Amino acid sequence: MMRYLLRFNWLLALCAAALTVLGVVFIGSAGAARSVAALQTAWRSHAVTAIGGFALMFMLAALDYRKLLDWAALPYFVLSLILLVAVLFLGSRIYGGRRWLWFFQPSEVAKLATILILAQVFGRFGDRLCGFRGFLVAVALLVPPILLILAEPDLGTALVLVPTAVAMLLVARIWAKGILVLILVGTLAAGTVLGVVKAAGQCTDPDRQARFYAYLPLKPHQLARLKTFVDPDADPYGSGWNLRQAKISIGSGSLSGKGIGRGEAKFLGYLPPSVSMNDFIFAVLAEEAGFIGAAATLLLFLGMFASSTYTALRCMDDRGRLVVVGVMTLLFSHAYINIAMSIGLMPITGLPLPFISAGKTFLMVTCAALGLVQSVAVHGRLES
Amino acid sequence: MRVSAAAILALLVFFTLGLAVLGTSLYHVQVNDVARFRKSLENQATRRISIPGRRGRILDRDGHVLADSRPVHDVVCRLESFQRAGGWSNTVNAIDAELTRLAAVLRLPRTFTRERIARHLRESSALPMTVWRDIDDGALARLAERTADFPGFSDALRAERIYPFGGIAAHVIGYTGRSRPDTDTGDTVVHYFEELEVKGRSGVESYYDSFLAGAPGERRVRVDARGFRQDEGTVEREPEHGPDLRLTIDLDLQHELEESLADVTGAGVILDPRDGAILALASAPSFNPDEWRQRFRELLDDPARPLVNRAVSGLYPPGSIFKPITAVAALQRAEEGNFNWSPDDTYDCPGVFVLGDMRLHCWDRYGHGPLTLRKAIEQSCNAYFCNLGHLLGTNALFRTARAFGLGDRTGIDLGGEAAGALAGEPWYPGHTCQTAIGQGLLQVTPLQMAVVCAAFANGGKIFRPYLHLREPHDPPVRPVRTLICEPEDLEIVRAGMRDVVETGTGRRIRTRYGEGRARFHLKVSCAGKTGTAERGHGRKDAWIIAFAPYDQPTIAMAMVVEHGESGGKTTAPRANRVLAHVFGEEEPAS
Repeated sequence: MMRYLLRFNWLLALCAAALTVLGVVFIGSAGAARSVAALQTAWRSHAVTAIGGFALMFMLAALDYRKLLDWAALPYFVLSLILLVAVLFLGSRIYGGRRWLWFFQPSEVAKLATILILAQVFGRFGDRLCGFRGFLVAVALLVPPILLILAEPDLGTALVLVPTAVAMLLVARIWAKGILVLILVGTLAAGTVLGVVKAAGQCTDPDRQARFYAYLPLKPHQLARLKTFVDPDADPYGSGWNLRQAKISIGSGSLSGKGIGRGEAKFLGYLPPSVSMNDFIFAVLAEEAGFIGAAATLLLFLGMFASSTYTALRCMDDRGRLVVVGVMTLLFSHAYINIAMSIGLMPITGLPLPFISAGKTFLMVTCAALGLVQSVAVHGRLES
Repeated sequence: MRVSAAAILALLVFFTLGLAVLGTSLYHVQVNDVARFRKSLENQATRRISIPGRRGRILDRDGHVLADSRPVHDVVCRLESFQRAGGWSNTVNAIDAELTRLAAVLRLPRTFTRERIARHLRESSALPMTVWRDIDDGALARLAERTADFPGFSDALRAERIYPFGGIAAHVIGYTGRSRPDTDTGDTVVHYFEELEVKGRSGVESYYDSFLAGAPGERRVRVDARGFRQDEGTVEREPEHGPDLRLTIDLDLQHELEESLADVTGAGVILDPRDGAILALASAPSFNPDEWRQRFRELLDDPARPLVNRAVSGLYPPGSIFKPITAVAALQRAEEGNFNWSPDDTYDCPGVFVLGDMRLHCWDRYGHGPLTLRKAIEQSCNAYFCNLGHLLGTNALFRTARAFGLGDRTGIDLGGEAAGALAGEPWYPGHTCQTAIGQGLLQVTPLQMAVVCAAFANGGKIFRPYLHLREPHDPPVRPVRTLICEPEDLEIVRAGMRDVVETGTGRRIRTRYGEGRARFHLKVSCAGKTGTAERGHGRKDAWIIAFAPYDQPTIAMAMVVEHGESGGKTTAPRANRVLAHVFGEEEPAS
């Protein structure tokens, strides 16, 4: 018990708790502008979920992650694949996508399952899978969840698995050179797509423009988001509205903000109420808490990453380190992409901001992920 | 171990860099560019709404109120009270249903259509929507009783133009309509909404529109993303109320002039010959500006064209009232010395003037016999003036006519003034003769002839006629120009004009012919000239110009009646009526 308390990564838990408090406050603030009672009290359910999540974190910390991985990684992964299949048939259809199975989103559950299976496979058999073979194994593990999530469709969640897996493979030195080349190729491809979108956007002849766009393997709403990204002012009242309003909201926050609950953009409905609580909660935070609040949020995330790094360094086996790296990268990808899209540094994708955005499944899953990191902190120092 | 500490640290460095990028970008957006984004938020959430100023009144010279603003009650709907989630149609439906319910309660017809609600929502949702205009007291009381049941509706006070004296001086005052103010804010970013405001459409309402209107104020309100108003707003600028406009019109005289023209088509202008102030200006038939809006189409289509101000824009050949101008032209030429003619020279009128194959008859078929200038004016002898015009030539005639202000706008402070015409097409000697007696291609307005008459009254000073009464501290009015004519020469013409009213063609200007042999003369001596202008097809326009008292004139007038018999018979009695009203009549002389 003493060892548990001493080795528990308190800084990590504290940062997560502080971010959750921010989440409760700003979900409450965003909800105050809504007329639906369930949304006005969304902050309460966020808090309740967080309490449950933290309890789960403390419990998982008590378990040895190695036993957990041995026993549960594969069943959990298989179960999450089953759930991903089930959601395609049983899920409720919202905004043209099937993402919800009863009360939760299987894709969020699958994120953690993917991290765990990768940590288990490459932590255990990394030495035997270090070449191209290892890469093929990783691809074989990643393709089913990614394809199933794409089928929902939920491009953002599917894509966020890629940097997570890439970071884990790189630190595990699985076909590292090949992956670096692939990253380069991927970057070039993304750059080319953006270049084509930008060039087409400047094209005056609509026929030629349409032919340009036809080359891109994108759905219309994805294309619209990319167009907004390369030229935010092209359609300020259509596809560019959310980004423009998020930027105005953030930009008008100034250094110290307008005060909690006093964000104008949100109340007047310019920052669309449908997104102010989840995907664009950072805009509400940055408007009301100003740059100071925004920077504090970034520092809390940095605190999480630094303390996780400490845990990883103190851990004496590959599986523990890979779990930590996977969770860290997952959280970083979410935080970075979410904040960057709010200020126009990335195309808009529907990724939540960890601990802050309203979203019970994701909050629960991130807490569980932290629980595993804590387990690594508590148990990772012992040679097994 | 496969996972090295270096790799994990490298990852942390990468994450730190990523967060640093976000931090720097946020600093740029939130601290460096804060002013720009604050402005964007301000602009998109702000609507500017004009507040119309109260329009100034129009008074006559004695302070009688000719045009005023009356408070009327409208029923307005504040759209934000009906904001519904979902599509626009939910809000439209909500307002539509409530409006029908309110119509029943107020017992007013439901005239505001669903389409208009939708259009108002689309175009100006930040403005209250006026659903009934000018409701009566009963409806107002019922609305006040039930205000609590209809939270989105209320009454709003608005000023409407009224004309307490009805149609009097309608052509001078003009009328108003409601339109968007033509303010140019120069601000294209902030959306600007304007309440319709009263705007002058004719008469001094139009000419002095910006003076009367004052300056609209401005209110800023906050609106949400759908354009609904969020607060009552702050008044950025109070409206400036328009000052009162005091006219030179004398209500009493105006009334008399209008009465004298009540049964005919024509026009009359009465000036103060001492400074050009317009005491009365009438055009018949007339209209009532209060009814203008209801009867607009009807008034526009009326063949008698009551909306036209004949006093300033009606063009007529002057006929014989032009003869005094011909006389002045001859006197000026004689004075210059290169014209071998004297006003005392006699010309023997044979009853017809023959030039080539043109024969111009004198109205006295048997001829007037030998005439001097003064006698020729008194008798309005066509032959004499044809001869004189023939001797003078076109240029001399036109030079003097122009000096009197003919062929050019007088510059009155009223819109729609016509310039008239002096020039003609191909010019033959016969035309010169026609011009000399006011026929042919000459065209003048009654206002121009009133100015000419005033010049004879005041000794040759041409004034710019005006309607805006001067304040005591204003500098004295100076004539536009003064005729170059010796006083004694001008006096010959004036004396001739006095003979006209005493023994000549215009006796009815001075004298009212009562029952039997009763004769009522004016208390003061006066002078004038009659004219009967031929317009072809048998139409005759009957003119007079007259001024009084003869020695110190305070009144100069011109009057024309379309389709009259003659100036002496048709128009002179009407002028007499006006002059008698001003100066009174002597006891009947038998």
